[in-house]
Amino acid sequence: MKMLPATSVVLASLAFLGACGSPPRYIEPGGTESVVSVGEVDIQDIKNAASKMLDSLLETGVLGRAKNQPAQLVIGEIKNDTSSQFDLGELTYRMREHLVNSGKAQVLTTWGSNPEDKIAQEELKSRSFRENNPSLGAGKPDYSLTGKITRIKRQVDRTHQMTYTFRLTLTDLSKSVEVWTKIVDMTKLGTKPGIGF
Amino acid sequence: MRNPSSATRAAISLALPIAFLALGCTPAVNVTTTRQTPSAASVPFRTDVNDALGKAQLRLVEVRVDRSPGGPLRAQVDVSNETSRVKRFSYKFGWFDAAGVLIYSTQSTWIPASVPPGGMETIRSVAPTDAAADFRMQVLRSQ
Repeated sequence: MKMLPATSVVLASLAFLGACGSPPRYIEPGGTESVVSVGEVDIQDIKNAASKMLDSLLETGVLGRAKNQPAQLVIGEIKNDTSSQFDLGELTYRMREHLVNSGKAQVLTTWGSNPEDKIAQEELKSRSFRENNPSLGAGKPDYSLTGKITRIKRQVDRTHQMTYTFRLTLTDLSKSVEVWTKIVDMTKLGTKPGIGF
Repeated sequence: MRNPSSATRAAISLALPIAFLALGCTPAVNVTTTRQTPSAASVPFRTDVNDALGKAQLRLVEVRVDRSPGGPLRAQVDVSNETSRVKRFSYKFGWFDAAGVLIYSTQSTWIPASVPPGGMETIRSVAPTDAAADFRMQVLRSQ
């Protein structure tokens, strides 16, 4: 029974400490209040990379030189060679949203042996067979988008430096040549994750 | 209070000039440019009430706007750091059409940047569409 007051004090202290923690709140996605981690790719890194990729793509005007207008793209393989686990769609969909919705490009989701939308490709094949029109929807895309995300890690004592490099390349499928490429580097330095940048 | 010993006084008298020298020797970038007049693409700019750049001891030197080869406008903003420390901040561009309506784009996001001591950095942005006619750059001092 003598333990009871001590236990009560511990429980009350824990409850008090719990009450002192910060309550959850909404912040701007990728905004300056976001968590910044050294060993991971954060949402702000992806948004930053997508923004700079789009800047470069629009500045060069490569999409405006495509045979089809709007330019027709197919999303090829984009490798994540970092240890950070995230969906690469986080990068590509941010770019696609702008390119497709602004009318600068169209993404073919039924093209190739590994199409993004298998149901739509099956439907296209079925229609092509029913209408006896083998060329139905068989337009060749102008460009394929491929890329890679890599990291270089360095450490001094407890301080980690992590450089994430985002690379994207646009290949002209009629000539098999690279017509646009862009590298975006992001270096983070620190000992542990923190809030805000 | 006890008077400092002669050794302590000597140490202080040596330490102070060394500290001042060390401060004076902080590595800094020298900005060299041959241009004496504003660029032909230079545009007038306005700094709003919450002068984050000024508070961060950064100076907005020049703002240039021209049309990119791809069609949309592009902006370049020169920011100089006249202090002896690296200055960090985040910036975000928003582009507006001729009617002053914000053009939504996934390009608009907070991007961290820094300017070396005594150096200059050019912040760049490309408008999301050809309809963009004006832009706004927001700056937040880093935490």
